[in-house]
Amino acid sequence: MTLVTEPIVAIDALTHRFGSIVALDHVSLEIPPGVTGLVGANGAGKTTMLRSLLGLVHPTSGSVHVMGHDAVADPIAVRGVVGYMPEGSSLPKDQTAADFVAFTAELAGVPPKDARRRASETLYLVGLEEERFRYLGDFSTGMQQRVKLAQSIVHGPQLVLLDEPASGLDPAGRVQMLALIRRLGGFGINVIVSSHVLSDIEETCQSVVMLDAGRLIRSGPLDARGSSAAITVEVLDDPQPLADHLTRSGLDPVVIGHVITVTTGDDSTFDVILDGAAATSSGILRLGRAAVTLEQEFLLQAGGTPS
Amino acid sequence: MTDAVIYDRGYKAYDGQRLGRRATRRAIVKDGIRRILGIRRKARRKVLPWSLLAIGLLMAAVLIGQLFLLGSLAGATAEGLPSYPELFDLYSRIALLFLAITIPELLGPDRAQGVLSVYFSRPMSVGDYLTGKATAYVVMAASIYLIPQTLFHLGAAALAEGGFLSYLGDNLDMLWKVTAAAFGFILIHGGVLAVVGAYVDRTSFAAATFLGILLAGGNLAGVISETAFPGARFASLLAFDDHPRYVRDWIFGSDLGSYWPEQAGFDPWVSLVVIVVVAVTGAAWVYRRYRRLA
Repeated sequence: MTLVTEPIVAIDALTHRFGSIVALDHVSLEIPPGVTGLVGANGAGKTTMLRSLLGLVHPTSGSVHVMGHDAVADPIAVRGVVGYMPEGSSLPKDQTAADFVAFTAELAGVPPKDARRRASETLYLVGLEEERFRYLGDFSTGMQQRVKLAQSIVHGPQLVLLDEPASGLDPAGRVQMLALIRRLGGFGINVIVSSHVLSDIEETCQSVVMLDAGRLIRSGPLDARGSSAAITVEVLDDPQPLADHLTRSGLDPVVIGHVITVTTGDDSTFDVILDGAAATSSGILRLGRAAVTLEQEFLLQAGGTPS
Repeated sequence: MTDAVIYDRGYKAYDGQRLGRRATRRAIVKDGIRRILGIRRKARRKVLPWSLLAIGLLMAAVLIGQLFLLGSLAGATAEGLPSYPELFDLYSRIALLFLAITIPELLGPDRAQGVLSVYFSRPMSVGDYLTGKATAYVVMAASIYLIPQTLFHLGAAALAEGGFLSYLGDNLDMLWKVTAAAFGFILIHGGVLAVVGAYVDRTSFAAATFLGILLAGGNLAGVISETAFPGARFASLLAFDDHPRYVRDWIFGSDLGSYWPEQAGFDPWVSLVVIVVVAVTGAAWVYRRYRRLA
């Protein structure tokens, strides 16, 4: 039996232009329920996409539907079922965590009494029960990130958009934040999390959306990623002669350090590589089909660096 | 061995009542009033607003005390104590200082601290946000103008020879006159503050800018209006602090001073128009600014 689930986000031919700058270029995708990673370099269009999902920016063309609501025609309805954790500083320093989180719940229509109760519950969930009556200006970066996460879920959203949630955190804080995000997925909250750190996405997400210079370069489940026919060969010395040989042989090699990756090819490609190594006197340390990390895949597809 | 058990309270989706956008605006008003007064904020945030409010109430108390000593409002006025329209001048500097921190405090910190990105991710529009802030401003500004006037009115009624209720009945017109005059001040100050508060993030700088525009700028405009340049008299319309006083005198039929627009030959209705134009321009300006920020 195949389980059919409605996408939480459906984007069709979405284009955003800011003057001459194209932030998003005819992006079409569907995001399934669960935890989804949104990756891309600076300026790739991640934040514009998140703001589009909230209906905060009006697209040049195309449509955006979030949890069944049209984000262009009815952004208020979308924001009623979505929570958002911005990347930068976004907390009032002169308010306590409990007051601020309760206020953001009230802004979403939660009655004041319920808002205070929910604020306590969500601050407990993110590990700030003891500190909830302290002023936010006295919080560390890690604690502030937790408050931002708490306000994004306090009103019981169906979908949470997290913009670089682990930004500025030390390694321990990063691990704790990723664990919290995984917990949200476990609670049945759909999550879209943007990050520069692709290993974070691999640890946390079930599916991924890759953007590069406003274009969609990949969208789908993370576990389908290693099934490509990519072959990697690690070369002892300079990999360039072998890469040039493979190019002349009609392949499409990408060189990253001492590793050459050939993205397409059947088993006969192994013979071509071995012949090429012999012809160029290249020493081979390792040859085989290896699972491609998200970072390698991004580099292969975007031809750039993710951060 | 203990019987204690550790529970993971986990997360429970909110399935309770959800109020509409009117409740959202109400929440913004409540938060705005708390912010102006420093309620649920650190102690140093409470010092300035509560000091100004206390001075305002103290002045009202002193006036009422003098009223009781002199026996009647007529007697008090004869002795040089202020009448209803003169009370505005008595309170104007305290009120001006108080108002100078209101809109900058309502708008600046949200913008400077990046909190708008959280607020506008909630189911509300820019209009809801600004309506809530404007209401908080009007409530607090009306309080600083109307509470002392109300106390003064009740004190005068308590001393009236004809009795308390009789005095209130005979002076019903004071209710609309005082309210209308107060809104002249509230609207024009709000318009100027909205423009300043929309751009200057720090409350102290915004308040100083506002006071500079109103006090120094007003006198400068007045001086320019007296020069011989063609159309120079229109500069008097930029003496923003004079318009509500000129309109106040128009409403009460009093003549408590000489104002730049009056000296330049403008009728009081022109000052009323300027008040409305400044208020509407300020509102439109801040709305346009926040449409871009949202």
